[in-house]
Amino acid sequence: MFKLLKKYWIFVLLAPLFMMGEVTMDLVQPKMMQVIVDDGVLGLNNGGTGSMELVISMGLKMILVVILGGLSGVLSGVFANMFSQNWANAIRKACFRRVMEFSFEQTDKFSTGSLVTRITNDVTQLQNLATQSVRGFVRTTMLFFGGIFCVWTLDLRFGEVLLCTLPVVILGVLFFIWKANPFFDILQRKLDNVNNVVQENVAGARVVKAYVKEKYEINRFGNANDELVNTQLKVLRLFAFMTPLANIILNMALVVIIKMGAIEVRAGNATPGAIMAAVTYLSRIMHSVIMLAMIFQTVSRGTASGKRLNEILKEAPVIKDGSSAVKSDVKGRIEFRNVSFAYPGGNGELVLDNINITIEPGETFGILGATGSGKSTLISLIPRFYDATEGSVLVDDIDVRDYALKELRDKIAVALQKSELFNTTIGENIMWGRENASTEEITASAEDAQAMEFISEKPEGLDTAVAEKGMSLSGGQKQRVAIARALLKNAEVLIFDDSTSALDLKTEAKLYKVLNTKYDNTTKIIIAQRIASVKGADRIAVIDNGSIVDCGSHEKLMESCEIYRDIYESQLKGGGDAQ
Amino acid sequence: MSGIDNKPKVNMKIPGMRGGPRNYLTEKPADTGKTVKSLLKYFSDEIKLVIFLLFVVVVVVLSTVSAPGLQSKAIDTIAAGNYSGIGGVLLIMAGIYILLSLSTLLQNILSAELSQRIVRKLRNDLFAKIADLPIKYIDNHPHGDIMSRMTNDVENISNTVSQSLGALVSGVLTIIGTVFMMVYFCPLLALLSCTTVILTVFVTKVLSGIMRRFFLKRQILLGELNTIVEEKVTGYKTVVAYNRQEEVISQFEESSDRLTLTGIAAETLGGSMGPIMNVINNIGFVIIAAFGGLFALKGIISIGVVSAFIVYAKQFGRPINEIAQVYGQIQTAIAGAERIFALMDEQSEDKSGTHDMKNTKGVITFRDVNFSYQEGKQVLFDFNLEVFAGHKVALVGATGSGKTTVVNLLMRFYDIDSGEILIDGVNIKDIALDELRRSTAIVLQDTVLFSDTIMNNLRYSNENASDEDIIKASRLSNCFNMIRRFPKKFDTMLTAAGQNLSQGQRQLLSICRAFVADPKILILDEATSSVDTRTEKNIQNAMVNLMKERTSLIIAHRLSTIQDADLIVVMDKGRIAETGSHEELIKKKGKYYELYMTQFEGNAI
Repeated sequence: MFKLLKKYWIFVLLAPLFMMGEVTMDLVQPKMMQVIVDDGVLGLNNGGTGSMELVISMGLKMILVVILGGLSGVLSGVFANMFSQNWANAIRKACFRRVMEFSFEQTDKFSTGSLVTRITNDVTQLQNLATQSVRGFVRTTMLFFGGIFCVWTLDLRFGEVLLCTLPVVILGVLFFIWKANPFFDILQRKLDNVNNVVQENVAGARVVKAYVKEKYEINRFGNANDELVNTQLKVLRLFAFMTPLANIILNMALVVIIKMGAIEVRAGNATPGAIMAAVTYLSRIMHSVIMLAMIFQTVSRGTASGKRLNEILKEAPVIKDGSSAVKSDVKGRIEFRNVSFAYPGGNGELVLDNINITIEPGETFGILGATGSGKSTLISLIPRFYDATEGSVLVDDIDVRDYALKELRDKIAVALQKSELFNTTIGENIMWGRENASTEEITASAEDAQAMEFISEKPEGLDTAVAEKGMSLSGGQKQRVAIARALLKNAEVLIFDDSTSALDLKTEAKLYKVLNTKYDNTTKIIIAQRIASVKGADRIAVIDNGSIVDCGSHEKLMESCEIYRDIYESQLKGGGDAQ
Repeated sequence: MSGIDNKPKVNMKIPGMRGGPRNYLTEKPADTGKTVKSLLKYFSDEIKLVIFLLFVVVVVVLSTVSAPGLQSKAIDTIAAGNYSGIGGVLLIMAGIYILLSLSTLLQNILSAELSQRIVRKLRNDLFAKIADLPIKYIDNHPHGDIMSRMTNDVENISNTVSQSLGALVSGVLTIIGTVFMMVYFCPLLALLSCTTVILTVFVTKVLSGIMRRFFLKRQILLGELNTIVEEKVTGYKTVVAYNRQEEVISQFEESSDRLTLTGIAAETLGGSMGPIMNVINNIGFVIIAAFGGLFALKGIISIGVVSAFIVYAKQFGRPINEIAQVYGQIQTAIAGAERIFALMDEQSEDKSGTHDMKNTKGVITFRDVNFSYQEGKQVLFDFNLEVFAGHKVALVGATGSGKTTVVNLLMRFYDIDSGEILIDGVNIKDIALDELRRSTAIVLQDTVLFSDTIMNNLRYSNENASDEDIIKASRLSNCFNMIRRFPKKFDTMLTAAGQNLSQGQRQLLSICRAFVADPKILILDEATSSVDTRTEKNIQNAMVNLMKERTSLIIAHRLSTIQDADLIVVMDKGRIAETGSHEELIKKKGKYYELYMTQFEGNAI
């Protein structure tokens, strides 16, 4: 995190420098004002006759000083913001970049709501900390130590009073910071919860409304909100004590100093003017202590946020690029060698158990099996969404773990079970398949995916916007856009993870016809529920409870595999007569 | 390349109802007065606390103001050589200081309490509004932006109220007091110092106009950033599968950079407020000093008055400076409040219906229903359908033919353009919305589960369901065995993304949830599309018993799923092509027959 700071060191230097300029002007200005009042208006040194020229000339000078001070204040602000916001920006980007490198188990671990809070709110907190450090902190410490120094020079015994009281003040302030510190972490976590509830509700609005759970959700939110508010209140209540505490101690010191001053003046060791000055400085010190207390609040909260951001930055991606640059002449062969798999962080139950299968280039390979039998898990090992717990997965005869991730994933196009579309146009969503695809190519894939028909019916065609999460398209339309996206990728291996489930049969049949003719050389892995979808495949694997029970052509399976026959029978009712 | 480019389109034109996911970027600063007024309403709800706080602030201001006078009095006493009198003055001083500290403590605690109460209420109201928004709004607005309003925008208000409110109030009070004293001493000079006030007000007005634009833009950009993170994290699998990390990152970075630039501009403007006020205030001071001196020379006012006046003129600067310092923060809060109230001003769902459905049998009638999501693009045309109570009705047809739309309308997720939908002869608009939805259970293709235990997820549809009811429903929906295999069985926590559950498993849980609801009308919209056919068959058998006396509406592509339906409705491009039972429709050799036969065209693969 601090590594990212380096680039902005010049701002880190300049901001306090100009701040010093501002503080200096702040210190000069009251004296000029004094001259205007005492000599210009009241004429104290001139027997009560003021001087208009002095008022105007000194007045102009003072305005100039104020403008100068103001300018350096503004500049200091500019530099402080250049530093803090650019730094925050760098951290924000680094975090997002890291999140994009995460594997699924890691994204799951943080939860969407928390990641969103961290990348926005926590970064803002850290940014506030940075601004405060180079501006507020510099300003107040300057005033603070300057004040102490001045009191010290006035009279030794005044300094002793300060020496006794300041540690008390500092200890007091530190005590409350120490007390409040653990709450800041909790605070951000409570904010996560609030964010999570909102996110789930917005994303699941249909279900919430369908089951009339608005009140329940409002209640759930109310609880998350109460927890957040209560934590916030605890912090604020603790900090509420800080300023009055500093106030009372320093003010009592003031009383003592005046009392001592009276004794000193009586003894002829000091002048009333010196006491006056001491009082002025003391109130300046007090002011800076109060400011410091405020700043510490920002710092504590910023530190807690910084920790949370560091958690992201320190989380090393579990699935990393392979070490060697690998080359293979084979294009589209996939092999599972003794593959077993259990979900990381799960209870260790094997979802896949000793899978051995080789899929040849250009083959159409169907996968059938009951819900939860491990079909999707099996194919998610190919693009390394997860890594096999045991055994190895080979693409083009090379272990997937030896590939650079990008290279591996470029070989594979997956149309997922849940078609995720993004908030842009249909055309751009398809173009995710290949960045530099021409409109003709996009149209061609859309046609192959049987999507062009409905797209061209829309007045804006490919430029039609897809509303949030594709809500404006029907399920089947979304799937076809996702398929077009996969086809456009032109990969060696095409995986359909039950991605035609919402297509009507006619459309699905057309799609498979195109796949067989136009994508002849591509290895096709098709997970499906309907036997009709995979019946024509070269081989079909039947998966049950994480193992391949049988594998072969439709005809072979009809003879040898009981489960397959069972599935067939269950669907036969739909078309028995036509057989 | 026709119309496809890589850059995200700002201000992209989106037809009709899609008011525009990206239109929010051009959101203009609304009427500040209105925003402040809405915000003030929250304060007036806590009027007792506000008054108490104001009272305490007055005490704080008074003791702050009186302390310097006592100090100079003490020093004057010393200067006068009256060493014995000093004790009394110091005692009073100490008393004032204790009062000051105590009242400051009280002020801090009260403003913390006030700010958190207001923020809690604001958050709750905002959430209640979100829960009340029509599906139409949620379908068409970036979810990340809605979330940003809840966190970032509310957070700004929270910070401002707790940190800046005190400064603002005491500043304003001090200014009022000072002005009052000035007028008391010399109306003429007070009039002169009005130039300062006028100048201040003028500059504030000009600057804040500009500032607000930047602060609002910053909040909007923050919302956009939120949207990107939310969308890309939820759609992460696709991003990874297509190797688009770099592109997504650069999209994020572009947005993040814009936010940074706007942020720097906004903060710089906000930060310049203090120095500018300082300059104005000093100019005012010089004017007063000059004219005060002049008046004194001419004998219009006494030197004493001038000197008092100057003290007040000096005092004038402090609160103005204080206010200027918190000004940026207040602007951020107002920009945030604007976005919050804009959302709160959105139309809620129409809940005017009052009829209950206690004795509903489940006769559903669609009469001449016309509907379009976007103006001019009709999706349903003169849709007429009568579903008898206790019947199982299937909707089939090509994707995009309007099947899901029928469900959307029946649940009143959207309201129809013309015609009417009746349940047992009562227009659904007249039925209490909650009642309508409570009597109807729906299972959607895109399953939604919450990050909670499986048990609580299943109980979601019916809080009165006992554990036994739920276990029974889970057996009926074929997910009992699956749940039993989870490490903590029914107490297993589902993670937000639910990565460990397959789509089919999620569908089974959703179906189970619908069974737990014990509804009068059951709607399955492609509810078993990812469930294998054998499991589906078991569920169907279970449903036969469960739905004996109830109406069910089923959308499915696998015709085997719906063959035993009492009525099959074949839809085509928003119209009903034909209706009848499976046998009738097969005999008819129409659309359904065609569709039915393609079941085997799939074999061509």
